[in-house]
Amino acid sequence: MIIADRKPLEEIQEMVENCEKILLLGCKGCVTVCNVGGLKEVQVLASTLRIARKKEGHPLDVEEKVLERQCDPEYVEQLRDSYDQYDAVLSMACGVGPQFLSEAYPDQRFFPAVNTKFMGGAVQHGIWEERCAGCGTCVIHFYDGMCPIARCSKSLLHGPCGGSADGKCEVSRDIECIWDKIVRKKMEQNRLEDLRILRAAKDWRTARDGGPRRSIREELVK
Amino acid sequence: MDYVRKTLEQIGMEPDRVQMFNLSSAMGPRFAEIATEMTEKTRELGPSPLSANKC
Amino acid sequence: MSDRFEPQILAFCCKYCAYAAGDLAGSMRLNYPPNVKVVQVPCSGRVDIIHLLRVIEDGADAVYVAG
Repeated sequence: MIIADRKPLEEIQEMVENCEKILLLGCKGCVTVCNVGGLKEVQVLASTLRIARKKEGHPLDVEEKVLERQCDPEYVEQLRDSYDQYDAVLSMACGVGPQFLSEAYPDQRFFPAVNTKFMGGAVQHGIWEERCAGCGTCVIHFYDGMCPIARCSKSLLHGPCGGSADGKCEVSRDIECIWDKIVRKKMEQNRLEDLRILRAAKDWRTARDGGPRRSIREELVK
Repeated sequence: MDYVRKTLEQIGMEPDRVQMFNLSSAMGPRFAEIATEMTEKTRELGPSPLSANKC
Repeated sequence: MSDRFEPQILAFCCKYCAYAAGDLAGSMRLNYPPNVKVVQVPCSGRVDIIHLLRVIEDGADAVYVAG
């Protein structure tokens, strides 16, 4: 799923400084699962903003709503009747949310309440880690289920580099060297030779290097 | 608990307005003590900036 | 009426520990300030961030969880 972090309260307060009435809009997709922009987080942030503004003697009316998803026009459309009743809309979805909303309602302002970070999963309750860089040409099968693009600091396709020590990365001791793990697994399984196989250069045009991407499923397009 | 206290601090309110106590069902006197303690402490902090009964 | 500030305090009390302790305090005829209003919860684990925030938002001067 897409992992995000809530923006610092101060930054959010600054965004809505001049507003009297806003809509705080959550999303039931990824951000609900990573506990950053679902119903609960919407309620907590809304209450916090109201308390802060009431304290300053400049109350803020915060309405709370959660859409099924903010990355599908059908759900975004559900705001058609109400979107213009607010001074601004604060979206707690990933970066896709505020953009889809802005496209659907060009005369309203949509602010992001979260910093969208990466595609990953929960390695334990409360800790999420990056697993996919969305490079567009998956090579995980060459590396026994570990992606060096997303998990090596340098995205090396032939590692480890000289900075690998005790299974840790030179960038930070908190980062594990994924190449250390790949090589170890290959050795354990007696398949180290796999890493000698010459492969054609990876096609980076399918990654961000080729500009903004789109995916077309012809059988679905009318 | 910590989250709420931190949040209050961020918006400039006294985190001590939110507390947590542990006690068992046999601790009647402690219950009264906590209630008194909280009332005294809150009196020291003064009214909440949001409180309706401005005196 | 005295001019002393009478805070409004809300206490979330676990049914089995603190609320029972409150009952006991009552039967022991112990005095405690009337500023504290008690809300019984089935377990203090039921109390969430949002409950505490709502209490503050609605103007309470303090809130605590006992359990």
